[in-house]
Amino acid sequence: MPPLLNRLNDAAKRKLHSLQDYFILAWNALRFIFARPFYGGDLVQQMDAIGVQSLGIVLLTGFFTGMVLALQSAVQLQTFGASMYMGRLVSASMIRELGPVLAGLMVAGRVGSGIAAQLGSMKVTEQIDALNTLGTDPIKKLVTPRVLASLIMLPTLTIINDFVGIVGGNLIAQFYLDVPTSLYWRTVWEQIASDGFLFRFIPNDFVQGLTKPLVFGAVISITACFFGLNTSGGTEGVGVSTTRTVVTSSILILVLDYFLTQLLLSLLVAP
Amino acid sequence: MSDRDRGAPADPNASTDPDTSADPVDVAEGRERRADDIIRRRQEERVRTAIKDELSKDDTGDERPRPEDPGPLRGALIELERVDLAFDRPILEDVSFAAFPGETLVIVGESGTGKSTTLKLILRLLQPDNGRVYVKGKDIAPLSFTEALDVRQQMGMVFQSAALFDSMTVFENVAYPLREHTDLSDDEIEARVKEKLEFVDLAPDEVIEKLPAELSGGMKKRVGIARGMANNAEIMLYDEPTSGLDPLTTGTITRLIMKLQRELNVTSIVVSHDIRSAFRMATHIALLADRTIRFFGTPEEMAASDDRYIRDFLGGF
Repeated sequence: MPPLLNRLNDAAKRKLHSLQDYFILAWNALRFIFARPFYGGDLVQQMDAIGVQSLGIVLLTGFFTGMVLALQSAVQLQTFGASMYMGRLVSASMIRELGPVLAGLMVAGRVGSGIAAQLGSMKVTEQIDALNTLGTDPIKKLVTPRVLASLIMLPTLTIINDFVGIVGGNLIAQFYLDVPTSLYWRTVWEQIASDGFLFRFIPNDFVQGLTKPLVFGAVISITACFFGLNTSGGTEGVGVSTTRTVVTSSILILVLDYFLTQLLLSLLVAP
Repeated sequence: MSDRDRGAPADPNASTDPDTSADPVDVAEGRERRADDIIRRRQEERVRTAIKDELSKDDTGDERPRPEDPGPLRGALIELERVDLAFDRPILEDVSFAAFPGETLVIVGESGTGKSTTLKLILRLLQPDNGRVYVKGKDIAPLSFTEALDVRQQMGMVFQSAALFDSMTVFENVAYPLREHTDLSDDEIEARVKEKLEFVDLAPDEVIEKLPAELSGGMKKRVGIARGMANNAEIMLYDEPTSGLDPLTTGTITRLIMKLQRELNVTSIVVSHDIRSAFRMATHIALLADRTIRFFGTPEEMAASDDRYIRDFLGGF
């Protein structure tokens, strides 16, 4: 085989091997959620780091995104005399798309990089080996609590993000378009109810809006743990792992968002 | 007696169900029989290899002939038997040695000769391509990941960088293996942690609440030793314990390893390139060179060796 093909072959094998390792890590991390010992303390600590400490950034982005969305739409809606639909527009956009994606991207940037840096530092300073030699499975101790915390906290952050975004839209609607608050919130609810309900009481918008952050939470935490645990090359390697985590999880969030939307639309709005 | 002799595969006539405990009678018996066993086994192995070579002359396979599995060496706490390991290049070839209860075996050699890799094999963080690694008479290669974690709990490991968990205090670091693997009460854990910290000459009340970042290099190493021995491990493994320390602290750590052997009869395997410390603490020294054990013997035997490489390695010491 020519040298170039040989190199391509080796590179492809390495990529496939990494992909396999990624899925093995994901499987083990999820499997250990139900296996003893449970690291409850670590879970609470991670929920605080991933959820509570991300609250500020999520509140800010959600609020201003809601306001910008309302401001940009205001001109168009006024042109057609449809200002009263502001609530519908903002809530549909926030709950279905912007809330999950923005919360995901914020958490990928803030938390994903943090996890990769922390685990990467532990790897290069032999702390992961130390855990192994002390008879502890690093995946159970380090990865599972982070994945579980992300699975719990990202949907929670998304709900908060959606809410403050809609509140931001309300402010613009009220002060820029003179839409009364009561009308705004009534149209918000009309939008939520208009897409139907799963099991008669869960709005389909909520199903869409909460399935996505669940998947994004898993993707961000597993990607960060994967790159963190595979760090090599000292402190420079930690930097590389951090960058890779943010880039990879951000891309995965945007790509998966499209496919999840397709899937959920076909499932929830099926004729 | 060279290391290759000592580290040759075990007596095929030896019991296949060795007593893995540190029974003094067995240990003494093992030590007495070791030299005779090894010479006899070495001869048997040569004969078997010659026969196998003769029989496989038409065989096109290029695999190196190996003797049949002779089983573990009686009384040995740790044994590597004809271990080969390669990553993208060969790292270890035909490496054999054994450590008996209460011994301090120091593995020395140039950088990159696979000294730390040997410790990873003993901890089963790596598996050999060929050969066997016995811990207390049990081959650890076929163990599952969970079973390997159980084996690791019987050993204490001190890392080159100490590898203390930097998010935990000194107390939490030393208490970690106790909280993970024992049912001890909080009071018992506290008492054990203080006992171990005192053993390594640290004042518990002064360091217990400190984070690793607040400790000096020597203190970190001592906390690492305390954490390694928290479970009352019979076997302690050290990866470059004196690396990066000043001469006084190096002396302190060396004395500590000797104290563990003297007072608690702990078996230690130390990877080091510090020849002065190695000669002070070792009951046996193994010299790794060219991917294999070039010398195995007592420090006195090493000092008296005429081998040019060993003389060069020892330098002016």
